Amino acid sequence: MLKTPWYYILVALAANDRHGQGIARDVLTLSGRGVRLWPAMLYGALEDLSDRGWIEEIDERTGRPVNESERRKYYRITRAGRKVVAAETQRLADLVRLARSRIKPRTGESS
Amino acid sequence: MNREGGRRLYRLLLSLAPRRIRHRHADEMEAMFLDALADAHGTRQTAAVWVAALLDLLRARLHDTVRRRPSIPGIPAERRAFMIGTDFRYTVRWLGRQKLSTSLVVGMLAVGMAANIVVFSLVNGLFLRPFPFRDPGRLVDVNERAPRWNLEVVGINYPDFHQWRQANHAFEGLAIYDAGSFNLADHRGADRIEGASVTYDFPAVLGITPILGRTFTPDEDRPKGPPVVVIGEALWKERFGGKADAIGRTLKLNGVVHTVIGVVPWTAEFPGKVRLWVPFAGDPNQTWQSYGYAGIGRLKPGISVSDAEKDLLRTQQPIWDARDKDHIVSPYARPLHEEFVRDYRSTASTLLTAVALLLFVACANVASVMLARALARRREMGIRLAVGASRLRLARQLFVENIVLATLGGIAGLVLGRWALRLLLASAGDQVPAWASFGLDGRIVAFSIALSAATAFLFGWAPALHAIRGNLRGAMSGRSAGTTGGPGGRRTLSILVAAEFALAALLLVCGGLLLRAYDRVQHVDPGFRMDHVLTFALALPEASYGDEDDKDNKKIMAFWDRLIQRLSATPGATSVGLVSCPPLTCHWGTFFDIEGRVPLAPGQANPVTLFRPASRGYFQTMGIRLKTGRFFEEADGRNENRVIIVNETFVKTFWPGVVDPVGRRIRGNGPKSPWMTVVGMVGDVKHYGLERPMRPGVYVPLVQTPNRTMSVVIRTAGDPAAFTSTARALVREMDPDLAMYRVQTMEEALRKSLSQRALYSWLLAVFAGMALVLALGGTYGVTSYLVSQRTRELGIRVALGARRRDIITTVMRGGLVVVAAGAALGVTASLGAARLLAEQLFGVPSYDARVLSIAIAILVATALVANWLPALRAARIDPMRSLRAE
Repeated sequence: MLKTPWYYILVALAANDRHGQGIARDVLTLSGRGVRLWPAMLYGALEDLSDRGWIEEIDERTGRPVNESERRKYYRITRAGRKVVAAETQRLADLVRLARSRIKPRTGESS
Repeated sequence: MNREGGRRLYRLLLSLAPRRIRHRHADEMEAMFLDALADAHGTRQTAAVWVAALLDLLRARLHDTVRRRPSIPGIPAERRAFMIGTDFRYTVRWLGRQKLSTSLVVGMLAVGMAANIVVFSLVNGLFLRPFPFRDPGRLVDVNERAPRWNLEVVGINYPDFHQWRQANHAFEGLAIYDAGSFNLADHRGADRIEGASVTYDFPAVLGITPILGRTFTPDEDRPKGPPVVVIGEALWKERFGGKADAIGRTLKLNGVVHTVIGVVPWTAEFPGKVRLWVPFAGDPNQTWQSYGYAGIGRLKPGISVSDAEKDLLRTQQPIWDARDKDHIVSPYARPLHEEFVRDYRSTASTLLTAVALLLFVACANVASVMLARALARRREMGIRLAVGASRLRLARQLFVENIVLATLGGIAGLVLGRWALRLLLASAGDQVPAWASFGLDGRIVAFSIALSAATAFLFGWAPALHAIRGNLRGAMSGRSAGTTGGPGGRRTLSILVAAEFALAALLLVCGGLLLRAYDRVQHVDPGFRMDHVLTFALALPEASYGDEDDKDNKKIMAFWDRLIQRLSATPGATSVGLVSCPPLTCHWGTFFDIEGRVPLAPGQANPVTLFRPASRGYFQTMGIRLKTGRFFEEADGRNENRVIIVNETFVKTFWPGVVDPVGRRIRGNGPKSPWMTVVGMVGDVKHYGLERPMRPGVYVPLVQTPNRTMSVVIRTAGDPAAFTSTARALVREMDPDLAMYRVQTMEEALRKSLSQRALYSWLLAVFAGMALVLALGGTYGVTSYLVSQRTRELGIRVALGARRRDIITTVMRGGLVVVAAGAALGVTASLGAARLLAEQLFGVPSYDARVLSIAIAILVATALVANWLPALRAARIDPMRSLRAE
């Protein structure tokens, strides 16, 4: 099971490489302004994800992985990260399917 | 707030963020925050953003701490904010490495704490734990006193009680009871069972609900009511197998068949070890009744005990007006619990103080061991300081160590203490009141935890202080072990050793004084010969021995005469006597009209006199000494020949200066009572215990006051306890419904009467011994450590020509001076402390030479042993080896 902010971050990076602030804006949009990632949480998560090798930092201009203390860092999802996000998506989809099969949505009154 | 101000503030707040994030992303985090701030409209949203951002930073901080990730290179592990976990792991590893000294420290703490837990458990059981009744705080002991007769407690008179019950406003319920024992006979034989007569409201006052059946109705609680009985759970299980059909079955009590109407749970077994209850059946209209019953009341909510007492005094007014114009007897009320713990209070506080001192010794001991270890670790500490550890950080490390040690000691102490308590209670036997229970409860757990914390603080301060004060350069340059741990450390060690010896000396002297007092009490002349005497009591039931028309109690006297005759004829019994109350048992007090007595000064209390009907053979059997006159003779007490024998205290009290009271007259407290002539004066018998003063006492011939309840005393040729079965068989043969009770040898009775004193005197002596052992160990440890630190110095001395003796003298002198100072302080303090103990010392002066000299000898011996061994080791130092060692 993936932490929700991590899932958002990975999904946001799945489409495009982005810098931190870009990720936050994207998540805000994706979630219909429902989820705002706060700075410490976002950067903490980015560090954790990097440590796990699910994302990597790249240079804005060259698109190559950066060394320490570059000014502005972009993040790119790695192959492992894509696998994780796919697996999590599958898991969530299964959960939703399971729930739908049991809980009838209360739409449309019976005639 | 403008944008710039917001940026600056956030920048400031960023310092809250974990370093690893702040370090690399501060600018971007700031930009992100400003983004969010720009999105917010209005004050409320702005405030919400600030709060959210702050929470975000705090959460990240906490999260980071909890995860304890491997540190970022370049940042010392020391700098992390919450290091308790690391400290803890470090401590466990470090303690594990030093198994010996760790177990020593934990053991010492455990011993100190166990002693505290034992005593606290006792105090808790006796003082703090409530009675097993509903709302015990509202229960009060109600009784009457007669200050002018010098009686703190006279017991309640039924008509007085009846008046209070009707007229009081303060009590929800008021009841009286009279504990006593009953003959319980069935096909299996006779038994003596503790029981009580109670008024019908007694169960309601205590809040007892029967587990089976019901309790008494007011109709059953009146003269000539139906014979019914309520039994306790224990008796129910024993006699009726715990079956429900016990209700309606019968028990033959004192020769009368009683119907069982209810069963109450064991928690309701009050007072004492009572196992059955019968109705009190008092008659309120018969005004001249004896006093002597106990009362209990349940206060209405919100009524204080003193209010209740005022209310009782108000209700007493009509009684005073009618038949007690001098206000001789007046009611009082006090908390029930107080009444039951009175006897234990001073003992308990003495023991609590003693164990607290013992714990101090243990803590001082541990502190010195820890300090010695801390000094030995000065280099480690110095290095840690040098690479950037803060002093606070080091102190915290030590603090965690202390907590871990104290916790281990606390756990071990709790286990050890519970075990010791069980042992103690088993050996204390029936000294322990029945209602007290000593199970583990929340208070004991809380006490143990508090104790551990206090202990950690007590022994933790010295090492921690030295760690903080430690001088970095000194620690590093003191690289070699050639010098001791600096004057500061050494001074603290000396103070600790001196304190240990002071406390050990204090305990030793007080324990010695108490043992001496115990010894002195044991050697008090009891006034009779204690050996080879068996006593037991018999109560002839009214149903079979008390016909209404038997005015002279012929049946009773016939039984007693036959009993004496047959017992005397039994081989093994050398003489036999009967008495209402043998020494160390009951009390029957009366007041006499004494011819020619010294008149009472106004307001002076009238001393109560112990009244004892006794058979002729009693004095010889007990070996009571005749001072003047004669003992009873066959004709005494018959045909209006009324006689009385008085004791020495009686004569001293009422006829001071009179040498021979024979021929003087005494009569009961009323103008119609017949006069009795004194025929003899006997020596005092310590009726109330060896340590209690004797009251005025008299004996009358049994025929003169035939009593249904008597104690038989038998002087035996052989072991008195072995005679029990012979006596039992004889009694059964004479009346199978009679039960022998209070069967004991006189020596047993004496031992029992002294057991509380014995228990606490020995406990205190044991505590003193433990303190001494701890002090010995502590001193030995400290001296050894100091010697090991001085190896180089001593080596140089030897190399320069110091002889062995010089070395030993040097080492011993240092140790002994400290010990002597401590011991002197302790002995001085004990002189003061003994004054506080005076009540328990039975006249042994606090400066008792024997105790003091023995105590000092023991202290000196201990100190010599503790210092001799390390000194000897120091003397064996090989100068070459010690100089090369570093």
